[in-house]
Amino acid sequence: MKKESLAKRRVFPVVFMLAITLVFISITTVIYTYTKDQIALNERLRLKQAVLYSAGVPLPDNPVEIERIYDERVNEVKDDTGLVKYFAVKSPDSQYVQSYVVLRTGAGLWGEITAAVGFNKELTNFTGLEVLAQNETPGLGGRIGEAWFKEQFQGKRPPLTTVPEGDPTGDNQFQAITGASYSTAAIKDIMNKSQEYARMEIGGQ
Amino acid sequence: MPAFKVKKVFTDDLGANNPVFAQVLGICSTLAVTNVLRNTVVMCVGLIFVTALSNMTVSLLRTYMPSRVRMMVETLIIASYVIIVDIVLKAFLPDVSRQLGPYAGLIITNCIIMGRTEAFALSNPPGLSFLDGIASGIGYSYVLIAIAIARELMGSGSIWGYHVLGDWWTNWSIMVMAPGAFFMLAIFIWIVKGATSKEEGGKK
Repeated sequence: MKKESLAKRRVFPVVFMLAITLVFISITTVIYTYTKDQIALNERLRLKQAVLYSAGVPLPDNPVEIERIYDERVNEVKDDTGLVKYFAVKSPDSQYVQSYVVLRTGAGLWGEITAAVGFNKELTNFTGLEVLAQNETPGLGGRIGEAWFKEQFQGKRPPLTTVPEGDPTGDNQFQAITGASYSTAAIKDIMNKSQEYARMEIGGQ
Repeated sequence: MPAFKVKKVFTDDLGANNPVFAQVLGICSTLAVTNVLRNTVVMCVGLIFVTALSNMTVSLLRTYMPSRVRMMVETLIIASYVIIVDIVLKAFLPDVSRQLGPYAGLIITNCIIMGRTEAFALSNPPGLSFLDGIASGIGYSYVLIAIAIARELMGSGSIWGYHVLGDWWTNWSIMVMAPGAFFMLAIFIWIVKGATSKEEGGKK
């Protein structure tokens, strides 16, 4: 039986592997480069939608309209390093600030949850919640992103508590998600702590 | 490409050699994504795309690929296509990408893809391998969609996010959790095995 040469046995597999890796990395890099601007645009639009929604501003379907409303009514207040501390959302006639939105991150079950939390101008009540990023279990904890769950927080007053079953009657109660106690608790925690942050950054307390 | 070979590929992967209930492959994603029908459909489309292209690519390279590194090459090819799916979803279907979350990237861990590249693509021509990838993906998909419809309906009272069951229905939370997936998959396999063994009994 003819013995394979050292080159074929040892060298060729390494060279082949390197060549294939180079080809596929190049392909994925080209696709990433071609789409990264679009992805960044999508993320930026998503942030704008989240800020407007959590501020209690009715959202149109058209992305161009969303951009227009955001540019007219939202003021991004930044710190010395250029990071946004909070968003001040003006009234429809842009005469006064009607609500504030802060972005907060907290620990969920499988990873971090980032949410936009809206407050009225007195910082006493929530105007809304939008979940920007989460890795919770789809169908369970992932339901924190569903409309029925988020809408509960409009007008509620911190500190929030959960109601496992039945309708929440108090102005600081909201309904938990069955089978997702950690995710629900994570949202509660994020929202309760966000008032403290908002008072510190916006109220100067 | 002989028509009988194409027919055999499709009848095998959709029937007797189905990747889920016959080969018992891809069970992780079967259990993980089938609590929501929309996520299931996206996962299925992604899997069909990745399996078909991975099969075809491995088949094209089969005569040149050293056997020592074949699994590494297959993993690299599969991972590349999964990355492409993830990027394309983020760029053009951001809502779907958000819904699917980490499951888009987890397509790489689906053993159906590696299983088909090893079992079929390495020993068949590219065109037939491509069709085998599509057939395997469709075979996987109809099982998952059936399970997802049952799980979402019983677990959330909805299909595709639309409520179809009224207030009289109490959601079975277990259907949204992993045990519900085990039960539904086992019931599905039981029904299929029962039907196929009756057919074989009738033929004898």
